[in-house]
Amino acid sequence: MRISKRVDQLAPSGIRAFFDLVLGMKDVISLGVGEPDFVTPWHVRARAIESLEQGYTSYTSNQGMIELRSAIAAFLKKRHNLAYDPEKEILITVGVSEALDLAMRAILNPGEKILIPEPCYVAYGPVVELAGGEAVFLKTSVETAFKVTPRQIDEAAGKGVRGILLGYPCNPTGTSYSKKELEAIARVIKKHDMLVISDELYDELTYDFEHTPMATLPQMRHRVVYLNGFSKSYAMTGFRIGYACGPAEVVGAMTKIHQYTMLCAPITGQMAAIEALKNVAGDVQAMKKEYDRRRRFIVGALNDIGMTCHMPQGAFYAFPSVKVTGENSMDFAKNLLLQQKVALVPGTAFGRCCEQHVRISYASSYDNLKEAVLRIEKYLKKKKG
Amino acid sequence: MSKVKANSSTIVRALIEVSITPQKDVGFDSIAERIYSYPEVKSCYLLSGGYDLLVIVEGESMHTVADFVAAKLSSMANVRQTATHFLLRKYKEEGQVFKHPKNERRQNISY
Repeated sequence: MRISKRVDQLAPSGIRAFFDLVLGMKDVISLGVGEPDFVTPWHVRARAIESLEQGYTSYTSNQGMIELRSAIAAFLKKRHNLAYDPEKEILITVGVSEALDLAMRAILNPGEKILIPEPCYVAYGPVVELAGGEAVFLKTSVETAFKVTPRQIDEAAGKGVRGILLGYPCNPTGTSYSKKELEAIARVIKKHDMLVISDELYDELTYDFEHTPMATLPQMRHRVVYLNGFSKSYAMTGFRIGYACGPAEVVGAMTKIHQYTMLCAPITGQMAAIEALKNVAGDVQAMKKEYDRRRRFIVGALNDIGMTCHMPQGAFYAFPSVKVTGENSMDFAKNLLLQQKVALVPGTAFGRCCEQHVRISYASSYDNLKEAVLRIEKYLKKKKG
Repeated sequence: MSKVKANSSTIVRALIEVSITPQKDVGFDSIAERIYSYPEVKSCYLLSGGYDLLVIVEGESMHTVADFVAAKLSSMANVRQTATHFLLRKYKEEGQVFKHPKNERRQNISY
């Protein structure tokens, strides 16, 4: 059966074969998992079970339950002093993944460009291309702790550039931006009259400073599509609940697409999400505290054994260099897996500029992290001869 | 059997329900004091409901605990009845959960 040109031309995942190798192996310590190792807090699971027992199994409104949209509005107002009208400016989606896809399809005309700092989440480029746009990658490096600079944006902005897709804290680097850094970026965005699609899914997992939503900066609210969800901070990946907030015309356009393609997000997930916003702040803080403990351990340990690694400010990823081995990221990852049964993700999965880096997820127990470091050290010593 | 290692020995813990015949001028407090003065008794509570005192005892073995109950507790004046429950497994104590899921349910690798 003929496949569409658009899909056919999408670059396949360069590391599919590596993924298949990992999935086929037993007794692997995996530092390659992009989701929390915590189970969803019990209150949330109990509410989901209860909602099924009570017979909540139907569709909801396309835009999502008004109770959830109102709860999100109240939460954002309290947490960040960020006000959105739950009737017109909030859409509940099937994870932030769907919100990203909807945002691009809602705003892009064919050929319009979106700037994407690299390394980045693997879906960023494809969702732009699937929406008919063109992804323009801005390479970052360890020299700037993988932060995109205002100058890079300024030089890349121009004809045909509609906006920038900024994910912070970042998967895979853990990079985030202080308020001051975001203000400098915002100045350039305003100068070029650009939009921002702001993926802030890991916001509650920011360790060294308070997270600042882009939409809270002066004169930015009307040009930001703010994306967030429940997968990471609340450990609700399987519930598939995200949300988009923004100007009514954008949310309306996203809802139009969503109503035809998805109809609505799952009701069980929505009811669980309402409970999450009401009652599990303590659980979120406890998970964050544990992630931070692991972050400090893994970055210190990697540097001690010779894999230089910058300190990430958020999420649950570290992005060390494999330069000391003389190998590229794929060879390092493959050899480490086969010789020491430790799995991590080659940096090239996240951008062509990441040949010398690997992503380590510390969404794994402290004991696993300690054992993994010992095995990596063994591998490095053997490599050194 | 719940085993809490302390000083390299294995300790057995039991929760004992104690029913007391209240006596004039003695009351619960002085009987409770006689019970909790034993070093084997780690906790002692006065409760509402079907019995009077909940006593938590630790010993080196089931026999040690049983001997204590028989020799010291049951035979005490004003103790009408005891029921001993040996602790088999700790799930959660003082906010700390002891049971952890052993099976990794996540896929080994994901973005």
